[in-house]
Amino acid sequence: MKIITACSTGLGSSFMTQLNIEKALRNLGVDGVETDHMDIASVTPTSADVLFVGRDIAEAATGLMKDVVVLDSLIDMDNITKQVAAALERHGVAVPGK
Amino acid sequence: MLSSYFQQGGVLYADRVSDWREAVDEVTRPLLDADAITGGYIDAIKTSISSPGGTYIDLGGGVALAHARPETGVNRTSLSVLHVDEPFDLADDAAHPISTMFCLAAEDSNAHIDLMQALAGLLTDTDRLAAVNTASDADELAKALA
Repeated sequence: MKIITACSTGLGSSFMTQLNIEKALRNLGVDGVETDHMDIASVTPTSADVLFVGRDIAEAATGLMKDVVVLDSLIDMDNITKQVAAALERHGVAVPGK
Repeated sequence: MLSSYFQQGGVLYADRVSDWREAVDEVTRPLLDADAITGGYIDAIKTSISSPGGTYIDLGGGVALAHARPETGVNRTSLSVLHVDEPFDLADDAAHPISTMFCLAAEDSNAHIDLMQALAGLLTDTDRLAAVNTASDADELAKALA
């Protein structure tokens, strides 16, 4: 299982989101999920299982991968944790800390 | 500790700015003065914000993380912040009111992980973020960011 985040530059908003997703995974007690951040132009359908982006590049991200999650806030841990848990379940990963 | 990553003189407080462009000029000035960035980096940030989807640097909670690609003019990884009492609209878009703008200058895509961890720790802590957003002078702001 791999989750990636993307933004236009691939080093600010996406990096912040990646770190917050890693925190959500720890809070949920989930190990072994790979994460990364990149610029949106580098994302391909095989880059990962799930792509997380902010609302402002939702349009650019549409269709890039099968599973795209759009976040309204990149620092709202409650929502990020909820969205990560849902994504894990969609991909058959058990979520002990839910 | 986040405060150790700020450029000297890089924690700024203002009552208001005329618009988001002035906010970018203000928040980047300490980095430019210290030669951590070039003028080209400031232009790149403004171009990025005014481009379609450029408001993606709005992280939520009234916080924006102004940044651009390293090759547009980063000499040294560095950080600064501007808090304004009266929010301004990012990219003149009323859907993106901002009261705290950080400026990140990163040398590459990964090297600044410690800085980003510290910044993420602050921004995802609702109490600490509230203290930043309600700071009423530069001293309070510096304390909230410590």
